[in-house]
Amino acid sequence: MLRVRNLKCYYGKIRAINGVSLSVRQGELIALIGANGAGKSTLLQAICGLLSHWDGQILFEKEPLKGLKPPAIVQRGVSLVPEGRLLFAPMSVLDNLKLGAYLRYRKRDHQRIAEDLENVMELFPVLRERAEQAAGTLSGGEQQMLAIARALMARPRLLLLDEPSMGLAPFLVRLILDTLVQLKEQGMTILLIEQNARAALQIADRGYVLENGQIVLDGAAGDLLADQDVKRAYLGKDYREFYEGRA
Amino acid sequence: MPIWNTGEECLDVEERAQLQLERLQSTLNRAYRNVPFYRNRMQDQGIEPSQIEALADLRQIPFTAREDFSENYPYGLFAVPLRDVVRIHTAQGTSLKPTVSGFTKPDLAVWREMVARALFAAGVSKPDILQIDVDPGLINWGRAYKDGAEAIESSVIPLTILTPEKQLMLLRDYKTSVLITSQSAARQMMHLVFRVNLNPNELALKTVILVGEPPDIEIQNRLRDELHVKPWVHYGLSEVPGPALAFECEARQGLHVSEDHCFPEVVDPATGGAVPEGEPGELVLTTLTTRAFPLVRYRTGDRVRLVPGACSCGRSLSRIEWLPTRTDDMRVIRGVKVHHQQILYLLERALGVLPPHYRFLIRSEDLRDFLEVWLKVDEALFSDEVKEMEKLCLRLGRELTQELGVPVKIRLKEEGSFHSSKPSRHIDDLRERLSSES
Repeated sequence: MLRVRNLKCYYGKIRAINGVSLSVRQGELIALIGANGAGKSTLLQAICGLLSHWDGQILFEKEPLKGLKPPAIVQRGVSLVPEGRLLFAPMSVLDNLKLGAYLRYRKRDHQRIAEDLENVMELFPVLRERAEQAAGTLSGGEQQMLAIARALMARPRLLLLDEPSMGLAPFLVRLILDTLVQLKEQGMTILLIEQNARAALQIADRGYVLENGQIVLDGAAGDLLADQDVKRAYLGKDYREFYEGRA
Repeated sequence: MPIWNTGEECLDVEERAQLQLERLQSTLNRAYRNVPFYRNRMQDQGIEPSQIEALADLRQIPFTAREDFSENYPYGLFAVPLRDVVRIHTAQGTSLKPTVSGFTKPDLAVWREMVARALFAAGVSKPDILQIDVDPGLINWGRAYKDGAEAIESSVIPLTILTPEKQLMLLRDYKTSVLITSQSAARQMMHLVFRVNLNPNELALKTVILVGEPPDIEIQNRLRDELHVKPWVHYGLSEVPGPALAFECEARQGLHVSEDHCFPEVVDPATGGAVPEGEPGELVLTTLTTRAFPLVRYRTGDRVRLVPGACSCGRSLSRIEWLPTRTDDMRVIRGVKVHHQQILYLLERALGVLPPHYRFLIRSEDLRDFLEVWLKVDEALFSDEVKEMEKLCLRLGRELTQELGVPVKIRLKEEGSFHSSKPSRHIDDLRERLSSES
C-alpha cells in the first residue's frame, strides 16, 4: 500500500533521513521505532506532504506522492495523527471531529460523515459524552482519542500516528494501543511511530528500527522484541551490561 | 503442491524486490557500522550504504572471498557482540584457520524456517521419520536439518556418525521415510542395499534429500528406478552458513532460492561482472536477514545459471540450475569442500615440514569416496622399520580425516610414481563413474 524508497530528507543542509526504504502492506500494523532525533517524525511529515525538501520515492497505492499538497494526500486516503495531537483547543469536540472531515464536506458527503461520526463515537464513547466540551479541557488521554477520531473522520485507508502514547499514563497508553488493534482488525492499515518500543512492537506485525536517519534493523515484530540490539537500545536493558564480561 | 510459507514464497515479485531492497539496505547499514572489514572495504571504494538505492547498485560493493574468513578469524566478521550469539559454527576454510560463523536467536529461527520450507517442498510432513546421514564435515547441516524437520514436527533421527551398515540398519528397522544425505553417500547406501540382498520394497524410504553436491542425473535416476524413492536436491553453503538455501519443488525446473533471506547474483568468474540472465556463472550471495554474521557479495565458487520465467509450482522465488563444475579449485568430497592448500597446511603442521613431493587424489573404494594423499618417501619420511612408516601413515590419515571431515588415506610412494617433478597444485578426481558400477 505504501512504499518508500531511498528517502532522503533535508533541513537546510542537514540530512535528517539518509536513504530509508520501507513498506506497509494492506492491513498491516507497522511500528517504526527509534530514539529521539532518529528521523521518525520527519519521515511521517514527508509522507504527508508537510515536508517538501526530500529526494527518493514515496508511493501510495502505486501512485507517487511527491509534489502533492497535504490536502491532496488526505484525499488519497492518508491521515496523520500528529505528535502533540494539535487539536483546535477552543473548539468543541464535535467541531474538531467535523473538521477532520473538512474535505469531504466539499463533496457533500453528509450522510456518510454522519455515519462516521457515529462510528468514532462508538469507538471512543467518552467523546460522545464530551461532544460539546472544548477540546482543550479534555484530559491527555481523551485528547489523544479525539486526535485519532479526527483523523478517522477523513476516512483514511492508511493511518499514520506520531507518538500517540506521549505523556499518557500507562493504562491510557494501553487503551490507545488496544484501539489501534481494534482498528487493524476492522481492516485499517497503520504506520505507528513510537518511542515506547515494547508497546508498539507488542501490537505490530512488523517493525523497523531507525537510527541516525537510517534503517538498521527490520523484521517481524516478535523477532525485534527478542533482538538483543533492540532490547539494549530501546527496551530498557543496560547497554554496558552486554559489553562487560565478554568482548 | 505443498508450500510452507505461501506469504513469503509466493510473494508478488514487485513486492519482494521492495522487501529485498529494504533488507539489503538495513544489512549494509549494520555491516558498515559494526564490521570494520566491510566498512573499510566500502570506504576504499568510496561507497556508503546510503548510495545503494537499488538492488543492482549492490554491484558497486566489492566481493567477499573465502580467504577473508581466515583473515578475520575468529570473530572479525561478526556484526553483533558475542553476548548476542547463541550458537557458533566452525566450517573448513582454505587454511589452518577454519571459518567461524555465529547465530543470534532470530538467526536460528530464520534458518529453521528456510530448512522447513525446503523440506516441506519435498513433501516432508508430520508423519515422516527423517534420518540424517552426512559426513562429519557437514555436521552443522545435520543440526539445521534436525531443527527444520522438528519445525514440521516430523520424527527426527539426528546425525550420528555410524558405519554405512549401521545407517542401513536404522533405515530398515526404524522405518525411515526420508533420508538426508550426500549424493555420494546415497550411491554407497544404494550399493549396500543390493550387496546385502535387501529388497528395496522392504524399506519405508520414499524420499531422499541430496545435499552438498551438484545434482548427478544418473544417480538420481538410479535412486528412482532401483530404490523406488524420490530424490530432491538442496543447495547450501557451510560458510553462509546453512543448508537448503535453495531447494527443488515438484516442478523440478531448477532450485528455488530463498531470496527473501539471501540475495543471489550470477557473475562472470573472470571479470566479476553480471552475466546475462540464463547464462552460467558463479553464484554470489548476500544475506538479507542475518544479524550475527552478515555476508556481503560472497563468492561461493559454485557454478549456476538463473532459470528464467515463472515456476508452475506457484512460488515466485527465483530458480537456479546448479551446474557440476566449480569456478575455483576447491573439490567436493561427499558434500564436504576441500582445498589443496588446506591439505598442505595440515601436512606441514603434522610433519613439521612441507613435503617436497605430493599428490592429492579423490578416489572411491566400494563406492565410498575418500581423499588419497601421496607423499614421496624421502629422508624425512623414511624409516628402516615398515611398522614405523605404517604408523606414520595411520597417524597422518587420522589427523587429516579429523580436520577435513572426510576419509583420508595416506600412501607413501617412490619418486617414479609421480608424473611430474613439480608438485601438483590440484586435487585430481579419479572417482569411479557410475557406469562402471553396473
